[in-house]
Amino acid sequence: MLEILIPILFVVLVGTLLAILKQKPEKSAILTGLGILMTFVIGLTFTMLIPSFNENWSQNTAKNPGRYHAIYSTTELAAAEAANRTPATFTGDLATQPNGELVGYTAQQERGRRIYQREGCMYCHSQQIRPLANEIKRYSIGTSVAPIADEREYIWDQPHFLGTRRIGPDLSREGGKYSDDWHYSHFYYPRQMVPGSIMPAFTWLFDDTDKVNPKPKQDARDLVAYVQTLGYGRQVPDGHGGWRPWLKPEDQQYTQSVGEGQVLRIDPRVNGGKGGQVRGGDQPSPTNRVLPGGTL
Amino acid sequence: MRPTESGAERIEHEDLAAKWAIWAGVAFLVLFGVFGVVAAFKFIIPDLFYGFNWLSWPRIRPVHVQGMIFGWLLPVFMGLFYYMVPRLCGTRLWSEKLGIATTLFYSVGVLVMILGVLNPMDSVNPWIMTKGKEYEEWPVLSSIFIFGGWVMLMVNLLQTFARRTYTQMYVALWYIMGMLMWTPFVYLIGNWPSQLIHSAAFMGLNDANTNWFYGHSVVGLVATPGALAVAYYFLPKAANAPLYSHKLSLIGFWSLGSIYIWNGAHHMIYGPIPYWLQTVATIFSFLLFVPVLSAVTNFFGTIRGEWHQLRSNVPLKFIIAATVFYLLVSTQGSFQALRSLNAVTHFTDWVIGHSHMAMFGFVTFYAYAGCYYALPRMYKRPLYSEGMADWHFWLSFVGFILFSTALWIGGFNQGMEWNNPNLPFIATVNDMKPFWHVRAAGGTFMLIGMFLFAFNLYKTSTMPLETTDGDGGLGIEDLSRTPSTLTARV
Repeated sequence: MLEILIPILFVVLVGTLLAILKQKPEKSAILTGLGILMTFVIGLTFTMLIPSFNENWSQNTAKNPGRYHAIYSTTELAAAEAANRTPATFTGDLATQPNGELVGYTAQQERGRRIYQREGCMYCHSQQIRPLANEIKRYSIGTSVAPIADEREYIWDQPHFLGTRRIGPDLSREGGKYSDDWHYSHFYYPRQMVPGSIMPAFTWLFDDTDKVNPKPKQDARDLVAYVQTLGYGRQVPDGHGGWRPWLKPEDQQYTQSVGEGQVLRIDPRVNGGKGGQVRGGDQPSPTNRVLPGGTL
Repeated sequence: MRPTESGAERIEHEDLAAKWAIWAGVAFLVLFGVFGVVAAFKFIIPDLFYGFNWLSWPRIRPVHVQGMIFGWLLPVFMGLFYYMVPRLCGTRLWSEKLGIATTLFYSVGVLVMILGVLNPMDSVNPWIMTKGKEYEEWPVLSSIFIFGGWVMLMVNLLQTFARRTYTQMYVALWYIMGMLMWTPFVYLIGNWPSQLIHSAAFMGLNDANTNWFYGHSVVGLVATPGALAVAYYFLPKAANAPLYSHKLSLIGFWSLGSIYIWNGAHHMIYGPIPYWLQTVATIFSFLLFVPVLSAVTNFFGTIRGEWHQLRSNVPLKFIIAATVFYLLVSTQGSFQALRSLNAVTHFTDWVIGHSHMAMFGFVTFYAYAGCYYALPRMYKRPLYSEGMADWHFWLSFVGFILFSTALWIGGFNQGMEWNNPNLPFIATVNDMKPFWHVRAAGGTFMLIGMFLFAFNLYKTSTMPLETTDGDGGLGIEDLSRTPSTLTARV
């Protein structure tokens, strides 16, 4: 339905132009119109059409996309959902899978992207590490060096969330850094975790009838499920001819324990009573995030 | 050609369509100005409107940005075009009724956008939720109204154009034609494949590249030609001086059409896109000096010998300030596309200062000037208060300088601080806070100016007629001036 809408509008536009041409305007006006269209088409060709043939911009042609982003086969996703387990990532030969069989996000993560889009996270958080030494250092953790952005990380994204502004830090290496509980508590009232933060409090994603221990709604769970994928499937050469996840287990343990310490320090009585520990499950779980296929 | 037939000049223009469109634009200007100032204050008081989902900062921001471009600038340009095109063509507007319908139809789209992007119902329905990309937030439902409204405008103006009695095409008409033709194509490309088709060919970086092709074209092929059309018409009119050079304006027009469109990728310098594409964008960013310098030279050539008028002539003040800002913002834009500078300023508030110089200092100032010149003539009354208009100018000017200077200094500082990876991110945020206070103050000045502007125009339209000849002593569409814009000094 959405897809056919715009071709219709396009026909309306061309029809309008043709109807006006039937008025038989003089030659100079027609030439001006053609000139305007021609300069437009030339620019369009060189800046949009030609780059679009870049092989690493598309799922269909990208080389080794599994090294840059988690991939699932739709049959595995369906089986995992039926059995209520975390789905395994696809590691087989891409060429054996027909088009449309492979996806980059589970249904929940895809819903989380919609929440990310609706809440406008991309206006304050970019999703790209530029090839600048200090930027790489800033987003590295311990001895895990944050890999710079690669074209293949984005092939599953619609819409893209590259971003143009960092009112908050870049998020492209955020996945796995903190536990789900850290993210819930942070989304509920960011200033209780990061004093001085100006991030909005996304209270409507939570059921906070219990002011001390609010519970995440489905929207918050989906959103965090997506945030935890950011950069988490990105692998780097391990120096022995193989590949490993960019975030080393010991570095992940370190950041997760720091994050859990922040959650534990939350006192709902400060901040005008706006804060509160938000836990996704019944148990506090500092390392409750193990992504499907993750070997960490 | 000098129109000597007095019959063609004595056309009584109704200007109904123009009035409707301008009033819609002015109403949206004030509304979206309030959104902008609320967004600025949220930097200082992040808990402002705590718990209101539809007033959270990331929902207000796109409403402000999109509203200012498509809610204020496009309707006000429509209104000024309804005023300029019949006068430059020596004929009546093809259909005043269609013009009024256009404004109503288009305004519905803007209102739907506000509802969809603020999204108080927390919907994730693709028809009514934001598209989630800068400059493309318009929900699909509102896009239909915006696009349909623009096609209605095209029909009306091109039909008027086809019935013209003056054979010479004044340069403002070229820019209007350019904007009329570019806008729907740019809008369709920006809002179609990457938005609606979930196919591998339109995802990821293709989506990002389309986004920035569209985003830069909205500035370069929609807002800029509209603003320059207004400037080319109202500068000679307001200064009562002939345009400096027609040849120069044609060089400007064709270079604008062929260069602006290549610049999209400079929004992703050092991003995950091919190196050559970034370099092409940088090169074309510098080529932009050609259209910019030709327009600016032309405007300063036109004002030559008439500078004394700046003391009392408010539309001229806005036009000259806007011309200076046009030169500055384009120079800044070209240099920002250099990798070395971009590495520091990209992702910082520097960019916000830059974009406000384009959309406020340059484009909006031209639109202000056009309204101050045209609206009294539509209502055949003098402007209600020249003093209030002067206050509007100085509030906008000083407010904007405060706003942008604070963001440039603060943003550059933050970019340099990011180069020290040992400094926690939150420390660089805290260092921005004094600058955000100044920015909010500047934004408030700009908003007060907008209220004065709207009030002044409203009082002008409702003022009782004092003179007996029924035109407020302005002369019916200042006959003596029309021919002067159709000739040039060189």
